[in-house]
Amino acid sequence: MKTTRRSVLTNTAAAAAIIGAPAIAKGQVRRGEQRTIRAVMHGDIPTFDPIWTTANMSAYHGGMVYDTLFGIDADSSVKPQMVGKYDVSADQLTYTMELRDGLKWHDGTAVTARDCVASLRRWSARDGAGQILMSRAKDLVAKDEKTIVLTMKERWGLVLDSLAKTATPVCFMMREKEAMTDPMQKIDTVVGSGPFTLNMAETKPGSQYVYDKNPNYVPRSDAASGIAGGKIVKVDRVIYQVMPDSQTAVAALQTGEIDFLELVPIDLVGQLQSDKNVKLEMLNVLGQVGLIRVNYLHPPFNNVKARQAMLYLINQENHMKATFADAKYYRQCGSLFTCGTAMENDANTDWFKGKPNYAKAKQLFAEAGYKGEEVTLLQATNIDYMRNSADILAQELRQAGVNVKVIPMDWSGVVTRRAVKTPPDQGGWNIFLTSAGGPAVGHPIALGAHAASGDKGWFGWPADAKHEELRNAWALATTIEERKKIAVEMQANAWNFVPHVYFGQWTQPAAMRTNITNMLRMAEMVPWWNVEKV
Amino acid sequence: MIAYIVRRLLSTVPVMFIVAVCVFLLLHLAPGDPAAIMAGDNATPQNIAQIRQKLGLDEPLWRQFGTWMFSLASGDLGESMFWRTSVTTLIGQRAEPTISLAITTIIFAVVIAITLGVVAAWKAGTGIDRFVMGFAVMGFSVPVFVVGYLLIYCFAIWLRWLPVQGYTPIEEGLGPWLRNLVLPTITLGLVYVALIARITRATMLDVLAEDYMRTARAKGVATAPMLLKHALKNAAVPIVTVIGIGVALLIGGVVITETVFNIPGIGRLVVDAIQRRDYPIIQGVIMVFSGIYVLVNLLVDLSYTFFDPRIRY
Repeated sequence: MKTTRRSVLTNTAAAAAIIGAPAIAKGQVRRGEQRTIRAVMHGDIPTFDPIWTTANMSAYHGGMVYDTLFGIDADSSVKPQMVGKYDVSADQLTYTMELRDGLKWHDGTAVTARDCVASLRRWSARDGAGQILMSRAKDLVAKDEKTIVLTMKERWGLVLDSLAKTATPVCFMMREKEAMTDPMQKIDTVVGSGPFTLNMAETKPGSQYVYDKNPNYVPRSDAASGIAGGKIVKVDRVIYQVMPDSQTAVAALQTGEIDFLELVPIDLVGQLQSDKNVKLEMLNVLGQVGLIRVNYLHPPFNNVKARQAMLYLINQENHMKATFADAKYYRQCGSLFTCGTAMENDANTDWFKGKPNYAKAKQLFAEAGYKGEEVTLLQATNIDYMRNSADILAQELRQAGVNVKVIPMDWSGVVTRRAVKTPPDQGGWNIFLTSAGGPAVGHPIALGAHAASGDKGWFGWPADAKHEELRNAWALATTIEERKKIAVEMQANAWNFVPHVYFGQWTQPAAMRTNITNMLRMAEMVPWWNVEKV
Repeated sequence: MIAYIVRRLLSTVPVMFIVAVCVFLLLHLAPGDPAAIMAGDNATPQNIAQIRQKLGLDEPLWRQFGTWMFSLASGDLGESMFWRTSVTTLIGQRAEPTISLAITTIIFAVVIAITLGVVAAWKAGTGIDRFVMGFAVMGFSVPVFVVGYLLIYCFAIWLRWLPVQGYTPIEEGLGPWLRNLVLPTITLGLVYVALIARITRATMLDVLAEDYMRTARAKGVATAPMLLKHALKNAAVPIVTVIGIGVALLIGGVVITETVFNIPGIGRLVVDAIQRRDYPIIQGVIMVFSGIYVLVNLLVDLSYTFFDPRIRY
């Protein structure tokens, strides 16, 4: 065949059409992007079962597809959610909860009280507050298709708080079929009654999770607030894109490839502040609290004097500055309960008010019988704040005369080793660092680390009978004033026996394109209802 | 030839077995417990123990190894601890982006590197040669992630020509597919360009100094046929060997490139699995990659007979 200029041009045009056609078609599909939000959250979803795990990303997923009987609003007040009418008997022993009309599972079947009873039972087997609730419950039954009746053996002031809490595992409602699964077994089927449905066909675990608007969802009529109120979805689709590299995520936000970035690393804030198409918002004002856990099982921290010494050597300002740089994003807090929450107080915080006192810390270590033995500090090197703070803590300990041995590993390694109870030289540990959500740390029951129940408690295994009595009393208290009073007592006692030490409290802003509006501010959850993409 | 291929394929069995033993032991002896990671931060030791039992991680190591080897022998790579999905399915879901990136990178690297290497050898000692070698040194020295971020800043954020991240499947169009692969391909390919260009130049210089090349020039053979037909073909064996070795390096580079450019490929899959200690995925991916590497080496060996007919198996 003879090649002419005309044939070359024709063939080139044909090739361009073939290459371009799918792109043109895709461009048409992409018009739907106007009602699609692409969000990069703080991590990947480890499992679709938000009851089985305490991972926050699974709770985020749960918040999309499942609903709760009660919800917490932006002011931390408990409000009915799936429940329409409810009644608490005068003796506070009987809770009667009636489901709202029209609630449906994503498969189209009606939500029944039986589903909710099964869900409550499964949740209570996994959740700390749920376990306490059920240990005090006499009976939990479905009175009819829409009515759940919970009868308590004894009064407990946290029944509704537990059902509404956002600390994981959140009390999500599931179909009876799934809720009857062994609580130790993960559920892989995702059928909820929440405002979004999981689009399994387009979801690629580890890469992207696609949530479509649930057209059959019946929102409450009251205004949305926190995870309470009317969950009116104003977009067609929300896609959680897993993007492990923050730098890439920030660049993608700047070019409009994504619409939302949940946590902006502080060192990249400046890059986004100068972009007029991007705005920064503080959605989670309580943020995170950094915890230094010491091991009660082995010397030197099996001695209260050594634990008290820890209070005198931590300089929270140094710890926070090392990672979060700008004082706008962190604060120092001497309270046992998150600063900014109702339980914050300053009982027994003299140690916090002055500068670090290494001489005092050294003296307390000596009184504890410490003679220079090696103290093992686990350092998670793949998480910035843990790596930095472990280095600073090691130096602080050295200044107090402690022979500290830093063991670098990744966070997965820390998670494994912290469960080991043998002495540090046999694979155990003395100190590790972690963090917990502000609302959980502000709640004596919600945070497992607040327990001082010894061997059965959280890693570090602190034990203090008085502390447990006070937690119990706090849970039984029915007014906020009563609870605040007990919290003061609890803190005064805690800073004597020292369950753990804090190294600061911080927040990280979320970043979004300027056309994303009406995001709800909520700790421990990012609600996607009410949000608009204009 | 067929007997040679069969012999080589059979010899991969003990190689793969040794790989399997090493991978299994390294993973299981390294610190980290998938049960503790799965259970979450608020889990109690009792919760973790229950999960370990469910996953069979409380069984003796030799029994866990035996179970894995038994399923491996029947072609089953196992099931992800986190996703309860077969590893084969997960690798299948992630294979396309990785294969696409590997193919475009190899094509890019081979085409650019051989061209540069041949030109540098032809113009040896000139400014062009020094420029090419300088470029090769830079390609070796600059880490993959630095190149990636620089390209993102320049072509995605500043010029807005190309996307920052992601992957578009080829069925959605060749154009979008290529658009997403341009920056990762250059990022990943640069080090191979450097490697192959240097080897090509060095080998070509040796060949160009041979008597038969002088004869060709004396006979008046034009430059292009002389370089490509006579010199390059004779220099091909070491170049092909280096390209083969490069495939192994490519596998490592893919992991970083996929993370920087957020490509949902096998590299990302294995990084996530390592962080979660999802043993079956890590073991499965390493076995697949080892198999590919063995196969590529076999193909490289066979290609020698094409470039040098004196080589016989």
